[in-house]
Amino acid sequence: MIKRLLLLLTVIVPTLQLKAIDRDSTETILRPVFAAYTVEAGSAHLTDTYLTPLKYDGWHAAIDYQRYQAMKFSPENWTMRLHLNLTADKTDNPARNASMWSLMLAADWGMMHKFRPVENLTLALGGSTGIEIGCLYNDRNGNNPASAKAAWTVNLTGFASYRTQLWKIPVTLTYHPTLPLTGIFFSPDYGELYYEIYLGDHSGLVHGAWWGNYFSLDNQLSADFSFGSTNLRLGYHGKIFSSKVNDIVTNIFTHAFTIGISGEWISINPRKGIPAKTRIINALY
Amino acid sequence: MNRIIFTLLCALILSCMSSCHKVEEYANDPRGNFEALWTILDEHYCFFEEKGVDWDAVHDKYARRIGDEMTREELFIVCADMLDELRDGHVNLTAPFNTSYYRKWWSDYPQNFSERLIEEAYFNFNYRQSSGMMFGILSENIGYIRYSSFSTPIGEGNLDNVLYFLRNTQGLIIDIRDNGGGNLTNVRTLVARFITEPTVVGYISHKTGPGHNDFSEPRAFTYNPADIGRIRWGKPVIVLTNRSTFSAANNFASIMKFLPGVRIVGATTGGGSGLPYSSEIPCGWSVRFSACSMLDADRVSTEGGVEPSEGCAIDMNPQDALQGKDSILEFAIALLQSNIIPTQTPTENT
Repeated sequence: MIKRLLLLLTVIVPTLQLKAIDRDSTETILRPVFAAYTVEAGSAHLTDTYLTPLKYDGWHAAIDYQRYQAMKFSPENWTMRLHLNLTADKTDNPARNASMWSLMLAADWGMMHKFRPVENLTLALGGSTGIEIGCLYNDRNGNNPASAKAAWTVNLTGFASYRTQLWKIPVTLTYHPTLPLTGIFFSPDYGELYYEIYLGDHSGLVHGAWWGNYFSLDNQLSADFSFGSTNLRLGYHGKIFSSKVNDIVTNIFTHAFTIGISGEWISINPRKGIPAKTRIINALY
Repeated sequence: MNRIIFTLLCALILSCMSSCHKVEEYANDPRGNFEALWTILDEHYCFFEEKGVDWDAVHDKYARRIGDEMTREELFIVCADMLDELRDGHVNLTAPFNTSYYRKWWSDYPQNFSERLIEEAYFNFNYRQSSGMMFGILSENIGYIRYSSFSTPIGEGNLDNVLYFLRNTQGLIIDIRDNGGGNLTNVRTLVARFITEPTVVGYISHKTGPGHNDFSEPRAFTYNPADIGRIRWGKPVIVLTNRSTFSAANNFASIMKFLPGVRIVGATTGGGSGLPYSSEIPCGWSVRFSACSMLDADRVSTEGGVEPSEGCAIDMNPQDALQGKDSILEFAIALLQSNIIPTQTPTENT
């Protein structure tokens, strides 16, 4: 086995002149990974009528990981994204005498077809599939303290990426929404306590998702400021989630400022080195 | 391309606006809080039909007492009075200054129990305690366990020790008088020592919607006997009950009543067969109420209580108590000594 080392190479945005590279059949295509690690802080607005009919407001925090890479089979036209997000929200009721927590883990993977309608602008549209699991916990409730959430969805996704300069700093502006179209999700019955599920009543817990009973829209807006080998990522992450099944309504709205780092990485076999003729195809451009 | 993007954006915005499900909101004023409380019960409470409560009429009756200028204390009194119409010990309204509680389910009945009488007259304060259980051997060679709250966890090892200590007695009395309930998993742990095979011990039905008659089909739930290696009790058992035997203790009585070799002695229990559910109203007061109905093994509701076994209904005689005798316990001792209660199975399973 050849022991592969992961080399961190910086691919500075302005140096990527795809159009200037001759398309030689002998050239090696390199598909750098564009990855972003961010933390989020903002506000959360939670309602879950299984727990309470009141709207709770409070803070939202999350860590987020995104990984883009051009697809191997058609790297110029197709790109993929892996996205992981772990959130924790802590909210209070209007009277500020009860708290509700939310802990959610979301993961999705998707492929998108890229379009380049004008210079410096890339649009992408495709599909993804993902899971989201977690629960809301209300610390004042006795037999119904938690509302578990679990879903597997098939999503419409895409992005718009625009490269420009701000204050002479290369910057990439990206908007990436994800909209679940269908899937399945978990919900107990209207007045069913989890004790019944514990006793073995597992009927009617899984529901088909469509926009009428399960709507979620994830909006990520980011600006990657290039400072040499690493980008500073600033942005906004907002999520709208609303479900209604068995007369149980859940609304989760979060708005957050995001900050983190991003960059492009290429994994190269050190024994083979970098081939003489290479062409780098970025995930976002 | 621009047209496509514009169309997609419009679709996203429209879908977002139309797909967020609304939750009814109430003002945080006396009328808003009253309406929120009434609606929560209207949509979730599970015993309207069984108790013959006309909740709409209750609304009209108490809505008249709501005024815009009333204080929180005054509002609390009206709301508490409204909840009392449900005649349910599982219904409480909790505010920072008070918790409402319907007490007539036990206050209108004789107490039928004195802990001091048991401890002094029957054990001379010389008894054992383990895992929430007070236990000992009565002079008639009958085992006695007092379990005062199902909120206290029962350890499997503790139960082994208790039953082993009582192994040479001719029968067992489990005293759950004044046991106001607690955790149903403790009921399961205790019952498992008195069954020898998986046993349907009751049924549960929950609300499937906000309508008063929206209920799921009652679903059986089964308890398994204690694991191999644990001590199971096969000799006659008597469970002592009074009106303050409530909630999880009521459930325990309803299960034990159906087991062979078990008799329920004393008074009808206090009921409380609805599994409580919590919610709240805009001013921050929390409300607890019955949301799921638990039925006995014959699919009969025990919300009104579990009656003693046939011929086993007895109240405590105050004269007996003055003479250091617990009439209900004496009745149970005599019943065990009469040997009319059948033995179930071998006492130990090791």
